[in-house]
Amino acid sequence: MPSKIGVVGDKDSVLAFKMIGFSVFFASEAKETRRIIDNLADKNYGVIYLTEQLAEMIPETIKRYDAKMKPAIILIPNHAGSRGIGKKRVQENVEKAVGQNIL
Amino acid sequence: MSKGTIVSVSGPLVTASGMESANIQDICRVGRLGLIGEIIEMRDDVASIQVYEETSMVGPGEDVETTGEALSVELAPGMISQMFDGIQRPLDEFMEMTNSNFLERGMTIAPLNRDKKWEFTAEVEAGTEVSAGDIVGTVQETNVIEHRIMVPFGMKGKIKSISNGTFTIEEPLYVLETENGDKELTMMQKWPVRRGRPIKTKLNPEEPLITGQRVIDTLFPVAKGGAAAVPGPFGAGKTVVQHQIAKWADVDLVVYVGCGERGNEMTDVINEFPELIDPNTGESIMARTILIANTSNMPVAAREASIYTGITIAEYFRDMGYSVAIMADSTSRWAEALREMSGRLEEMPGDEGYPAYLGSRLAEYYERAGKVVTLGSTERLGSITAIGAVSPPGGDTSEPVTQNTLRVAKVFWGLDSSLAQRRHFPSINWLNSYSLYSNDMNKYVGKKLDVDWDGMVTHAKALLQDESELQEIVRLVGVESLSEKDRLKLVVARMLREDYLQQNAFDDVDTYTSRNKQYEMMQTILYFEEQSIRAMDLGSYYDEIIEGTEDIRERIGRMKYISEEELVKIQEIRTKTKSDIQTVLEKGGVESDA
Ligand SMILES: Nc1ncnc2c1ncn2[C@@H]1O[C@H](COP(=O)(O)OP(=O)(O)OP(=O)(O)O)[C@@H](O)[C@H]1O
Ligand SMILES: [Mg+2]
Repeated sequence: MPSKIGVVGDKDSVLAFKMIGFSVFFASEAKETRRIIDNLADKNYGVIYLTEQLAEMIPETIKRYDAKMKPAIILIPNHAGSRGIGKKRVQENVEKAVGQNIL
Repeated sequence: MSKGTIVSVSGPLVTASGMESANIQDICRVGRLGLIGEIIEMRDDVASIQVYEETSMVGPGEDVETTGEALSVELAPGMISQMFDGIQRPLDEFMEMTNSNFLERGMTIAPLNRDKKWEFTAEVEAGTEVSAGDIVGTVQETNVIEHRIMVPFGMKGKIKSISNGTFTIEEPLYVLETENGDKELTMMQKWPVRRGRPIKTKLNPEEPLITGQRVIDTLFPVAKGGAAAVPGPFGAGKTVVQHQIAKWADVDLVVYVGCGERGNEMTDVINEFPELIDPNTGESIMARTILIANTSNMPVAAREASIYTGITIAEYFRDMGYSVAIMADSTSRWAEALREMSGRLEEMPGDEGYPAYLGSRLAEYYERAGKVVTLGSTERLGSITAIGAVSPPGGDTSEPVTQNTLRVAKVFWGLDSSLAQRRHFPSINWLNSYSLYSNDMNKYVGKKLDVDWDGMVTHAKALLQDESELQEIVRLVGVESLSEKDRLKLVVARMLREDYLQQNAFDDVDTYTSRNKQYEMMQTILYFEEQSIRAMDLGSYYDEIIEGTEDIRERIGRMKYISEEELVKIQEIRTKTKSDIQTVLEKGGVESDA
């Protein structure tokens, strides 16, 4: 079964994704974000793009899905710029997977 | 009386010729020492006698004399709080008379005290028509047991004279006018141990035996009048389970048969029981206990007799209208005695060398348990609950003694050595034990408590069952592969195991749990589950619930130590559970059901 891809973030940052055909959800504070992500996970979304700035507000939810195969939560910068945590997570995961930081 | 001559001696088995006038099951006096033995086989004039005492130094040529009587017990006031050997010789008097801590041979000791005077209160008047089983009067034997003097079996007639007063058990107590003339009767009756005492009818057991042991009362209850088997390998806790039931069961009288097990276990009983207080009567446990000891260093043949002696005494008290429990530790040692005698008789061996009649002998014994309407013109109900420990060699329950016991006992408390090793006591394995009384008993308890007890128990059992399957998955692919709901299930199942089923027999509070407390405890665990699932449904995460309930889970773990007088404290835990989970919900951003 092909997995769906969702994008979660503040309106300004993620609206553009809608044009490429992704399902886009708007959120601006923690509770709302958490509910949307849990909901998408329930609905079998395979990949969720989430803005770094929202991710920072819901560390528990991020941790919860880290331990699971699906959905993969990928952090993206928002329109205000990157905070670097997305890239750091990628590096950490790569390190976990191959044993050293190759990036 | 006929006299025979010993032909051969082989351990406890003596054969004697010239015994043509003796009958099978007669008690004999064997040899110069006059050892007590019982004829177990007759071939022409040759009798095979199983001797209840050590036979060394007894040899061919010595005399054997039959008494013409079957092995019987004396039934009268004076039995309670006593300890007898397998053929009802009182051990403390034995010790006084022989001045030795060990059994001396050939001693004749009256089973019951002949000199003691008992205060008798007549319950019938002269002129009353009575028949077997009718109560003519009572003796307050201990603070809790009123000894009811019954008309012996086979007697019928009109009371000619009877009065209150103090009597010994041999003094004439009343006179009965019968068809065959007047009969003077005493308090004492005799009964041959190998025959069950007659009853009017057998009833279906319907009331549970409350043992105060959570795993037993909740998951695998035994009915009053039922039979239960406790098989378990060495050191798994058979003796402790039996002792616990002897201490706490809500019966009127306990007969404890120590059969072929260590002597110091009986010593434990004697030291411990007098100090324990029965929660049902407030009196010492010893005031309702009769001990029969035939420990491993006592002669093997008397071991065979001991369980019959025990159950006959139990039947006698049942006939008075009491509920009685009889414990036998261990029936395997009894079966081994049977095997030893059978081997010496050169009978054809069956499974594992046990005689072919092992199954029927075991069945005969357990069949004497039950709930009955007793003899007598007033309707009296009595019951015997039989609980037998089985020690299968190597813990292998497919061996003959266990298998034959399970055929007749409806309750199986399988002790598990791996649980015992992990110090999970009582080590009753909840996955393979069973009770065929479960449904009826749970409904009965449910009605008493006015709750859906059956539903709660069924749910708890299902959780434990699921746990073992989930653990299998965890072992294979790790705990991450489980859904959060399943992980919660593991937490609750673990609570059930550690906080409910585990029970320390040596803790003053934990050793006994009343039915009410069992309900409160179970309810609290299931409430925790219900509240947690609700929180999850509302969006809380497993990790959040675990973190937010740390304190409450700890308190649930300690609720077994809350005393019976403070059960509200358990209810408080439930209130706290609710508020703590509410906090979790709020933190997770899902305030309410709305
Ligand atoms: N309910 C219990 N609570 C605490 N400890 C227990 C409990 N049951 C058993 N034990 C521990 O296990 C030990 C062995 O128990 P027990 O003597 O009853 O075993 P057993 O099965 O009768 O052994 P055997 O086969 O040697 O007769 C006890 O001495 C005690 O330390
Ligand atoms: Mg034992």
